[in-house]
Parts: sequence; structure tokens; C-alpha cells
Amino acid sequence: MTKLVHIEIDGLSVEAPEGANLLQVARNNGIDIPGLCYHRKLTPTGACRLCVVKIDGQQGLSMSCSLTVKDGMKVISFDEEIEENRRRTLDYLLAEHNEESDNTFSDEMAVLVNRYGLDKKENRRFGSLLQNLNAPIDSSSPVLTYDASKCIKCFRCIKACAEVQGKNILSFADRGISKYIVAGYGVWRESECDGCGECIQLCPTGAIVEKQHRNTIQLDKIEKKVITTCPYCGVGCQLELLIQDGKIVRSNGVEGVLPNDGRLCVKGRFGYEYAESKSRLTTPLIRKNGEFVESSWDEALELIANKFNEIKLRDGKNALAGYSSAKCSNEDNYLFQKFIRLAFENNNVDYCTRLCHASTVTAMLKAMGDGAGSNSIQDFETTDCLFVIGNNIIETHPVTATYIKRGHNRGQKIIVVDPRWTPLVKYADIWLQPKLGTDVALLNGLMHIIIREGWIDKNFIEERIERGFEAFDELKAVTDGYSPEETEKITSVPQDKLFEAARIYANAPTAMIATGMGMSQQTVGTNNVFSLLNMCFITGQIGRERCGINPPRGQNNVQGATDVGASPINYPGYIPVINDENRRRMSALWNVEYEKLDPKPGLTTIEIMQAIHHGSVKALYIMGENPVVTDPNQNHTIEALENIEFLVVQDVFPTETSKYAHVVLPASSLFEKDGTVANSDRRVLRLRKAVEMPGQAREDWKIILDIAEKMGVNIGSYANAEDIFTEIAQATLIFGGIDYSRIDHEGIQWPCPDKNHPGTATLFLDKFNTPTGRAKLHPVEYINQKERASEKYPFIMNSGRILNQFHSATLSRKNEALNVYGNESYVLIHPDDAAKLSIKDGLRVVVESVRGQLETAARVVDEVAPGELFMPWHFSESPVNALTRDELDPMSKIAPFKYSAVNIRVK
Amino acid sequence: MIQETKIGLARLGKIDPENINDAIALGAYDGLKIALSLNPDEILVRYESSGLRGRGGAGFPTGLKQKFTSQSCAECQKYVVCNADEGEPGTFKDRTIMQNDPHLLIEGMLIAAYTIGASKGFIYIRGEYNLSIHRIRKAIADASSNGFLGSNILGSDFSFELELRLGAGSYLCGEELTLLESLEGKRGYPRIKPPFPAEKGLWGNPTLINNVETFVQLPAILINGLDWYTALGTSESKGTKIFTISGRVNRPGFYEVEMGTTLRQLIEVLAGGMKDGYSFAGALLGGAAGTFVDASLLDTPMAYETLKAIGATMGSGAIIVLDNTTDKIDFLQNILEFFKHESCGKCVPCRIGTTLLSEMASQLKTNPEILQKMIDEASYMARTSLCPLGQSPVLPLKSFERYFATAITNV
Repeated sequence: MTKLVHIEIDGLSVEAPEGANLLQVARNNGIDIPGLCYHRKLTPTGACRLCVVKIDGQQGLSMSCSLTVKDGMKVISFDEEIEENRRRTLDYLLAEHNEESDNTFSDEMAVLVNRYGLDKKENRRFGSLLQNLNAPIDSSSPVLTYDASKCIKCFRCIKACAEVQGKNILSFADRGISKYIVAGYGVWRESECDGCGECIQLCPTGAIVEKQHRNTIQLDKIEKKVITTCPYCGVGCQLELLIQDGKIVRSNGVEGVLPNDGRLCVKGRFGYEYAESKSRLTTPLIRKNGEFVESSWDEALELIANKFNEIKLRDGKNALAGYSSAKCSNEDNYLFQKFIRLAFENNNVDYCTRLCHASTVTAMLKAMGDGAGSNSIQDFETTDCLFVIGNNIIETHPVTATYIKRGHNRGQKIIVVDPRWTPLVKYADIWLQPKLGTDVALLNGLMHIIIREGWIDKNFIEERIERGFEAFDELKAVTDGYSPEETEKITSVPQDKLFEAARIYANAPTAMIATGMGMSQQTVGTNNVFSLLNMCFITGQIGRERCGINPPRGQNNVQGATDVGASPINYPGYIPVINDENRRRMSALWNVEYEKLDPKPGLTTIEIMQAIHHGSVKALYIMGENPVVTDPNQNHTIEALENIEFLVVQDVFPTETSKYAHVVLPASSLFEKDGTVANSDRRVLRLRKAVEMPGQAREDWKIILDIAEKMGVNIGSYANAEDIFTEIAQATLIFGGIDYSRIDHEGIQWPCPDKNHPGTATLFLDKFNTPTGRAKLHPVEYINQKERASEKYPFIMNSGRILNQFHSATLSRKNEALNVYGNESYVLIHPDDAAKLSIKDGLRVVVESVRGQLETAARVVDEVAPGELFMPWHFSESPVNALTRDELDPMSKIAPFKYSAVNIRVK
Repeated sequence: MIQETKIGLARLGKIDPENINDAIALGAYDGLKIALSLNPDEILVRYESSGLRGRGGAGFPTGLKQKFTSQSCAECQKYVVCNADEGEPGTFKDRTIMQNDPHLLIEGMLIAAYTIGASKGFIYIRGEYNLSIHRIRKAIADASSNGFLGSNILGSDFSFELELRLGAGSYLCGEELTLLESLEGKRGYPRIKPPFPAEKGLWGNPTLINNVETFVQLPAILINGLDWYTALGTSESKGTKIFTISGRVNRPGFYEVEMGTTLRQLIEVLAGGMKDGYSFAGALLGGAAGTFVDASLLDTPMAYETLKAIGATMGSGAIIVLDNTTDKIDFLQNILEFFKHESCGKCVPCRIGTTLLSEMASQLKTNPEILQKMIDEASYMARTSLCPLGQSPVLPLKSFERYFATAITNV
């Protein structure tokens, strides 16, 4: 706890933490000392010289931004001399400044110019020097423009890029009065700038402005500002949307609020245009004679209800299933699973989490009793060591990555494990590049070294692991077989690197793990995570603050959807459906007969598709999912959907999947509805309606209620999303203490069991959530893949995501600003392989597996190992999932998206 | 008859600067040997009592600076940094030392490092000083192979590594905090002060940073003793100082003399007076960030306290002589243009102020009253600028007004 001290500013006694920034302390106490280069998030710069004050006992003037408070400090922040100096400084600035404003940016300088009476030209002492200055404009960036004539050289953009985002792209060219901002070597578009726009948000004068809506936005015509959660990845960034003429015209990060504290990535800042895309679904569509025909809601709902009831009656309740959605709110998902359980009367509800972190969650639930990340996003900055495995976190969770880069700047050790180069390698102390699919061997090999060197945490093993050293000895019996020599043989990672990684992780005072799709999307996904957890447990790198394991979530509500019960095995709050007591509890809450709730776990995502193939599932209700692109073995998926008796797709856009639907329903985007989501660090965050839905589109939860009503099933009545949330909080014990008013300003991290509970920043501090309260070791052996490279298919295909596109790209590709940064499929191939096959960079190639084929462009780079390929999977015209297989991990039912034997050849 | 008294230039001309044995034969590293036989605290007391003040311009007591650095953060890595980025116009004393006796600088830094407990040092040298760079580089290599640098120096527990780093032409990088930024590989922008280098210097660690000329005073103080040293100079300015004299004098160049030698002795005796046909019209002392004097001040002793009494500065020891043909306004304009050119642009008063001053100076010949306004602006700059560069233009401007006001009105 920092000591509080007393200081005096202009006679006012002020209390502040010792060492706090004087300017910030003054402003926090309502003393409006001017300043343009200072920003709360940045280190002090001392450039603008406007925050001058006098300190008792010191000669001359001091800059309050550059001082920290000390007990007894006496400060004069306003007197005639100080104000005169400030006026003169502003007057100087005006001499080099272009004051023109197109009313599209907030101008902190203009506010001060008015305050000091310098808006009146006769109060100025100098003419403009501008005409003699070379003040260039750089409009080469796809998303922003820099105008040096409006720039006051305050360093805020440079520091926003370096200190906040950790990118270090901006700097000054030239010096003195001629200097101006440059990105990279001088041309913005050619620099490494990825368009996050932190510099725009922190620019005080409109020198850096976004291009999007440049000709439409007028600040005096902004109708409202709406704070909501970003619709893309699972960081859950808080956005402030500016609404003009009923449209979103700007997106800023919300300052001072977790998880992002104002930071965004290119998607959060510029990816809002899809909401008003012309290709939105605006009316229900019914397929008649092979063609989609517009229909009324009544007709569509009637048809759906009749078909669902008819199939249920004819083929039994198990012939129905539903896909819920990580792109929908908690309220939507909660009602969806309630609908499946009460209207379909089974548990056949799942969603794409099955295809991303199902194995992670399965392993974590078995080993620790909780499947969610144990830490807060901001802990990524403060932990001493970060072990990132199978997770391209800079591209997939860009704002979480800003915390990592800041950690790196303060000396955090970073270990990256990835078969492919990722941008985080630039920041890493060590990069292990195992062969695809050898993770268990690698992790067992690391544990072998840790045990051999005595780097284990004996207290943790004795006190917090079930059966203590007895269980440890069983693990050791397995890892004994993974000597460094043996591990190198399997993984191809050199022994000295294994040793270094083991040493750094095990001996760090605190260490956190971030695990991703590289670990989970394999037929041994659950084993991979078991092995990772074993390493975490025996080193005691969990159960303390800034220690633990985190699976950052890919979509903005992957976490929440499972939390509120969109799961074939669990009711809301992770309580199993097979448990009798749980069924009684839910039946009481939902006011239905206990017998109505099916005790049998439902089918998982891929199992549903397989059941459609076998003909046992005849109707599927899809809310906001696109399995044709996202599910493995695409031809198999398409075959299933072509033959299904009745398919309903509810979405915001026509998708590759909706082509096969019998009824398509126009739904709402996340910008158009109230609700909540839960992000990767279990924080329950608000969604707020910012704009109206197009045409006849409806909120997802309302559509679900409409269908239930037409089917004659009562699943409750709700006036608004908040009503639904009230029920969620009753049903979901970990949400018990959360309500809309409590999360109005900042989200709360579950578990939050009651209204007085502040939420939980770190899991497992006192105990694990298992029946014994202890963690469980699960020793696992490395298993060779069933699918292997062969003469016919000599390469192994890996797949993943890129920064500026998202998921199956139904949303992200509707944004021009995002597409400029990359809108084309490609395959990465190592130069040695490319040379053998005469594949040149940029050449069109055909990639084929035993299951299907696709065409794409080659990129010849050594970011992949020889014998391995990589493709981003966003692009449906080159669908990676035409190649992947639907062989499942037996425990979690996830599919091996990261491992397909393929051939590649010039087209 | 005034004579030179040589400490920094004692071996000048008597040795081959590229031959370490020459230097050793004439006493190089003798001071280091004495230092290593003493307790660092004892040495600190000696330097504090020596009255030695920093020769970079500000004249801060060297012993005190050493003490602050020595006492700051016991467990931290400490550094000794030599500011050899000699950039003040008219100044070439450091170059002269480094070219002629590079081992003296290394010895001075070694003693300072031993005194404060530093194991690593850097010489940040002006990048254009090719010969100095060559000779320092060779001297470091020779000193290392002779056991004066590296581990367990001369069999003691003391170890010290020394690296040479080249500046890239920025005047501002001669400012100590900017120099540290540059040494760290960053762009040369001044840092916010405090913290001072003694507390948080290079990479945030306690750092002793001194000028070349300051370091080279150190060995002689140990070798010849405090009594000898304190007898040199004046009451508040001890030891010797190298002055570099330029302009239309008969023997322009460098002269190392006792502190307190008068300007007249320097110009009329050592530099041989004005060239035929030219008369003394004043001088700029200390470089661009210095002060003008006129003929009435020729008998001022060149010492910190006596110069301060007349509102002048010692600065770097540059003496640029003006004569009866010098266009004083052009001269002033040139100085102000220099500041504008060298301003890094980080803080507003300096970035825009130096430009405004330069613009106003171009009107001086037609609008003499503008000088008052210029002084007023420069005073504001001095109050509010971040680093010494923006705080400096007021020095030449005010002294110009004091001594040369008639130059403007007589145009």
C-alpha cells in the first residue's frame, strides 16, 4: 500500500499517494493546470511547458508533469507570472500551428487558446511561421492521415505507439522547428503500422485523424455516445461509439476502464462498418423451389414451429439440435439453451467453443475444476515470466498483447512455443519450434529437466496436489522417458533451448501460461493441456497472483456462452445435466416438470453434424454460426447440410452455411442490442444498443422467444435483456452477485456469488474448484498422430488467424479498412520446400488432402519449418477446412485443425 | 611574464601519443597506482578538498559529484562516462588533450571509477574527431594489454572496462543528459531533470559524467599532492584551465594556464596580441552559450568567481576575439542561427523561440529596438526551456546589449 502524503496546491490541502504525478494529482482535485503533452497513460515528456508551477523552496518555475508529490510540498499553480508564461507558450505554439478545424476532431489546443484569450488575433505577438516551414502531409496509411501543420510535436503519438501499444513505429524526422512525425522509414503505408489508431486517440490537435467517415462526421451533430463491448475477439475491449444520423461514425477506446484502458486494435477501431453493410439480412427468407423468397416474420416463424414440432413428434426429440453462438450475448445464449432444453427437450446444444478451447476446458475442469483463465488480462504485464504456447497472441488478442509488450519493456521473460514464427518471437527471450503435433513430448521433456534439476515446488506438490508426491511419482515415471536427447529426437527442439526454457519458467518468481489453438485443436488436445497443467502444478506456478494458466478466447463471448449453459453437458454455471439435483434445481427455477429435463448429455458440434449424416438428427437451428467454413472436413459438412430435412439459420449476413438453409432469419448485430458478454478474464461486460437494426431484423433473444411461442412452449417472458440477465444471475451461481447497475461503469470478474462480492481477479488462490480442493496431475504419454505425412501427402498443414480478419470473416470482410490490411488467402511454405517444387512467391498453388482441395497463393518464407505449411482460415474461397479431418479428440470432441497431411503443387 | 602551467597538456610534444611506453616513461598511470594504494573514501576526501570544479562549463565541484555518485545505490552497477562531445563553437581543448595524451584521460577515468566504485566506462566522443578517435582507440587497446584496463587492474581487486562511442554531430548531445540518451542508443533528446545522473544516469544507474578536461586534472592531484594543487589558481577556482583562442590574434590556439590568469595576459601575451592593422573590439567567452565582454574587461581574472561577478561565464574556455572589422550584428545573428539549427525541438520555448530569435535578429539592422524584445523572449525561454540549449540564448543577448548596444544604433 502506498503511503498517503499531504501537499498544498494554491492553499488547498490535498491528499495523494507518495510519488504520484503532481499534475495528475492537481487535476484529480479539480485544479485545471493546462498541459498538452501530458497524458495519464504516458511517461512525462516535459515538452509543452504549459504545466509550469512554482514549488515552495525551489527557484524558478517547475513543470508539474515532471514532478512527483512529496509530503509537505507547497505548490502555486496559478498566479499572474505563471499564467503569463503559459499564455506566452501558447502564443509561441500558435506561431507554428495550423488552427483550421473541420470539426471532426476534439482539439485540446483550441480549448486552451480560447481560455487564454488568444483566439483574438490582436492578443497574439507573432505572425505565423507556417509558410516558411516544410509541413508535410502523409496520407498513405489506409486508415489515417498525418498533417504536420496541425502537429504540436507533443510526443503523445510516439509514446502511444511505443509505451501503450509496444510497437515503436513512430518517431520524429528532422529536428527543431522543422521536425515532423514519421512512421517507420518515412511512409506510413510502408511502415509496420497495423492501424490500431492509439495515436489518433491520443493526438490532442487533430494532426493524426482517421480516414473513416472523414467527410461525414461533424462533432456538433453527434447525437449520442454509446459505450459497449467490441464485437470481435475475447479481450472484451470497451468501445465508445459516436452516433451521427443513426450511424456509427467513430469508435474510440474507453479510457480508464478495464480490460483495455482505452487501447484498441484495428478491428475494434475501424471494424464497425459491417453493421450498416448493404448485404445485411433485412427480412426472413424461405426457400421455395430452390430459391430464397422474402417472407413475413409470421410465415417464417409458423413454418419453423410447425417443422420443429412435426419432426419432434415423428422422429422423437433427439432428432432436433441447435448451434448457439459465441458472437451472441449471454442473454441470447441463455435463452437459446433454455429453448433447446425446454422446446427440443434434449441437450443437443453446442457452439464453436467445441472447435477452439473444448480440449483446454475439458482438461482444466478435470484438473482444477474451472475451465476459465485464472488471471486478469492486466497480469500479462506484471508477471515475471510468460509461457506462450500455440498462441499467436499479438494477432489474435492484440490488446492483451499490448500488456505483454509493456511487460517485456520492464524485463519480463517471454518463452514462445510455436511450430511457426509469430510476431511475439520478436519480443521473446527464447523460441522453441517443435514439429507440429509433438507438444506432449516437448512438455514432458521440459518436466524431465525440471525434475532432474530439482526446480519443482515441493510445498505446492505436498499441499495443493491430490495425493501429493504419490501422484508426482506417477508423473515422474512417465516423464523419465523423455530425456533431453529423446525429446529433441521427437520435437527437433535443441536440448540447450529445452534447458533454458525449463529453467526460466520453473525458476521465475511468478509465471503465467497463455495457451491457444495450437495446443487445443488436435486429436490429443486434452492431453496437450493436461501435460501443460502438469508442468504448471509441479513448479507451483499457479495459485498465486500473477501465476496461472489462461486460454485467451477467440470471440467476444466464447466464455460467456458456456458460462450461461450453451453446452451439451452443463447447465448455466457449469453444473452437469446428468446430476439429478441439478435437474431439480433448474426445473424449479424454470418452473417446468423435472421429468421434462433430459438427463442424457447432448451431442457436441461435430457429433451433431455426424448425426445429420447418419440421419438421426433431422432439424438444426443455427444461431450466428457458420459451420461450412468453421467445421472440419468441409465436404462432409456440406453433404450433411444438403441432406438435412430442415435447417434454420439466424444471422446478420447470408453466409456459406445459410445457402443450405430452409429458413433464414435476419438477426441483430452486437451494435444493435443490449446485453452482456463475458471476456477471456471472466469479466462480465455490457453490450449497449448503439444503432437500430436494419429492415425487419430482430434481436436474437426475441426470435428465440417468438419460435418458442409459435411452438406452444413457454420458455419465460422478458421485457428486455436485463430481465433475462436477472434470471441468468439466479441460474448461474458464479454470476449471482452481478446485475446491470453493478457493471454499468466497469465489468466484474466471476465468480461473484453475491451482491457484496467484488468479483475474482485470480482463481485458485486458496483452493482449486475440485471436490478435494486440490489440483490433479494427469500424466500423459506422447502419441504419434494417426494421420501422417505420406508419399502422396508429404506436408503437414497448420492453420490459424491473422490480425485484421476475424473468424469465418462474415463480419470482418465487410469492412474496407480491415480488408486493406489483407483480404487474400495464402499458404506459407519454407524456401527449401518451395525450391524443390519450383514454387515461387506469389504463384497460385493447389493444396489437397485426402478429403478435399483448394487453390491459393504461395508465400515463400522461413516462418514455417520445412515440411510444414500454414494457411489463415478466414477466406471461404480457399477453405482450409476442405483439407482438415473430423477425427475427434476422444475426451473433448475437438477436431485437429492444426494437423492435416497435404500435398502442394503449382496450379 | 605569464607562463603556461601544464597539467592536462604536461606531456604534450614530449611523447609519441600512440606509444604507451613513452607515456609511462613520463609518469602515465602513476596516479592510478597511488589511487589503488588508497581507500576510495580517502580519495573522495582529497578531491573534495582539492577545489576542482567541472571543466565542461557549469563548474560544479567535482569531488561532490563523485561523492553523490559513490553514495547512490550501493548494489547498483555504476558507470563513469566521459563527455568528449566537444561541440561548443570555438572550443578545441578536449581534442588537444585526446590527440596528444590519450592515456592521461584513461588514467583520469580509471581513478574516478575506482573512487566511486564503477566497473564500466564510456567515452562519448565527437564523431568528427578522427585523429582523437584513432588515438583513444589505440590507447584503450594498449592500456588493456598493459594491464591498466580489464580485470584485476595492476593485480588489485579493481576491474574496469572502457568503451569508445561516437557521437553523430548533434550539438545537443554534448548536454550530459542528452548524451546519456544517445549512449543508450536513443535519439538525442534531453531528459527531465531531476533525477540527476548521480542518482539515475545511464540505463537508470548511478553515473559519474565529467568532461575530458576534468578527468585529466585528477592524476596530478594524487601525484603532486593537495598542497601543490590548491596553490594553483584562485580562492574558488583551483588548478589549470585550457583556453582556446581564435580570431585575429597573432598566435591563435590553446593555452593551459593557472586559473585567474587575466584575459589580457591570454590575448596580449600568450596569443601575441592582435594582428597588425586590427584592434581588439571584444570577445565571446565560452562559446555560443557564452557571454560577450569588451575591452574594459580585459583585466578580469579568468576564474569562476571573478567572471560571475561581471555577469560573464567561463563556459568551455573558448575565447573568440572580435576586432574592429567584425560585424557584431552578423556575429550575433550567426550565434542565434546556430541555436535554431541545433535546437532539438522537443520543448516549445526553445523550438519556436530559437526560430523567432533568429527571425528577429535579421531585423536588428533596420529595427534596433527589437533587441529589447529579443532579450525579453530569451529570458522567457530561459525560464521555461527544458534543457540548457533553450536557456542559453539569453547569455550572449544580454551581454551583447550591455557592451555592444552602440553597434546597433550606429548601423
